Amino acid sequence: MDMLSPGDVSAPGSLLIVDDDAINRAILDNLFAPFYPIEEAEDGDEGLARILARPERFCAVLLDVVMPRMSGLEVLERLRESALTEKLPVFLITAEASDENMRRAYDLGVMDVISKPVVPYIVLKRVQSVIELFQARKRLRRTVKSQQTELLAQAEKIIRLNQGMIEALSTAIEFRSEESGDHVRRIHDITWNLLTYTPLGDGLDDEAIHQIALASIMHDVGKIAIPDAILNKPGKLTAEEYAIMKTHTTQGALLLERIPQLRETGLYAYAADIARHHHERWDGRGYPDGLRGDEISVWAQAVSLADVYDALINKRVYKAAFSRERALEMIRNGDCGVFGPRLLDCFFAVEERLFSLYRR
Amino acid sequence: MDELRKQALAAAGVDVDAALARMMGSEALLLRLLKKFLDDQNFSKLQAAVSAGDQEAALAASHTLKGVCGNLSMPALFDLLTRQVAAFRAGDWEGAAALLAEIAPAYARVVDAIREACA
Repeated sequence: MDMLSPGDVSAPGSLLIVDDDAINRAILDNLFAPFYPIEEAEDGDEGLARILARPERFCAVLLDVVMPRMSGLEVLERLRESALTEKLPVFLITAEASDENMRRAYDLGVMDVISKPVVPYIVLKRVQSVIELFQARKRLRRTVKSQQTELLAQAEKIIRLNQGMIEALSTAIEFRSEESGDHVRRIHDITWNLLTYTPLGDGLDDEAIHQIALASIMHDVGKIAIPDAILNKPGKLTAEEYAIMKTHTTQGALLLERIPQLRETGLYAYAADIARHHHERWDGRGYPDGLRGDEISVWAQAVSLADVYDALINKRVYKAAFSRERALEMIRNGDCGVFGPRLLDCFFAVEERLFSLYRR
Repeated sequence: MDELRKQALAAAGVDVDAALARMMGSEALLLRLLKKFLDDQNFSKLQAAVSAGDQEAALAASHTLKGVCGNLSMPALFDLLTRQVAAFRAGDWEGAAALLAEIAPAYARVVDAIREACA
């Protein structure tokens, strides 16, 4: 559809007159010259070559039928083959239009058949009307296209804004536990890498993995409901305090459920599931629901390991960071939670890549 | 263009007013194209093709000449050529060829009148 769109929209382009007789060409030239730049071709062969070389150059073609070398109908056939008759209006100008030729011409997509000798006002009016119609269509196509581009750009902006809002919310909440925005970004990246570069992501397309990684950012939003005294307590939590601390999973799922705009997106199901279940354990001894094995979704499993890994590698308020070797050993031994064997295989396969996130 | 010239052309078979209308009133263009008509090769092509018995070439020349005569508003010549083209198309070679006997003097009249008027 772009064949005719480049160039200046306001200039309609040239009118091409294809006729083997100079007198006929001169009459048409005189008629149309006040309105369009005129180009002439002396036979079908030359006319076709001109059009094919630069179809966007012309606003219409006036075509004689009986010409040496290549007839008007042959030219029309060739234009039809190149799908140009839809974009460039072609008029046959003929001294005698047999029924057979007329039908053939219309089948081939001719705009109009005008009889010779031409009647000036009729030929002018007919050709001009069609040229204006084609110009209007061209302008409309351009407008639609530029509006589409604009809408797409706006949609993209909104998506970026949404992601920014999600990151801002999550970072603000993590900030209370003296985490930086880096933590949120790393959980996102670790989850994305686990699902993209290992068989863990089998059956999930790029869009789903993108949504899960974004959802992983919100795994701890429920911590906003946990009092500072518990959230940032330097020492060990009492049993009662720990029970309250554990509610950040169910509180998180509840909070997300109350954002109707989020519920309308594909992101919601992942985010709510991850917030609620990122402390479940493979052996069924996690919380809040005591899910076991593959009852826990792949994404909730991935985020729980990502969270543990980041906690071990990175210094936190209540502890110094462990060495990488020590951290991997603890994960392998089940010192920081029990994970499924397939998850662990995938994790160790991609850990080199994950660790590189900390070298930036 | 003065009335005498116009009348001379009209008598020879050129409808000057109709032709001028087609030129959007440009006398200069009409005179230029009438002179150009003197150089037009289609009539001699038609004669040659008819005597050589070349039906295809005869039809092409007759058809093109008809178009030009129409555009220059030469009704008598145009009518004769229209009949000839129709006869060629209908496969009536004899009838079409015979029409040349009427076309030739009509053509000569027009050509002479143009030479006179444009001299």
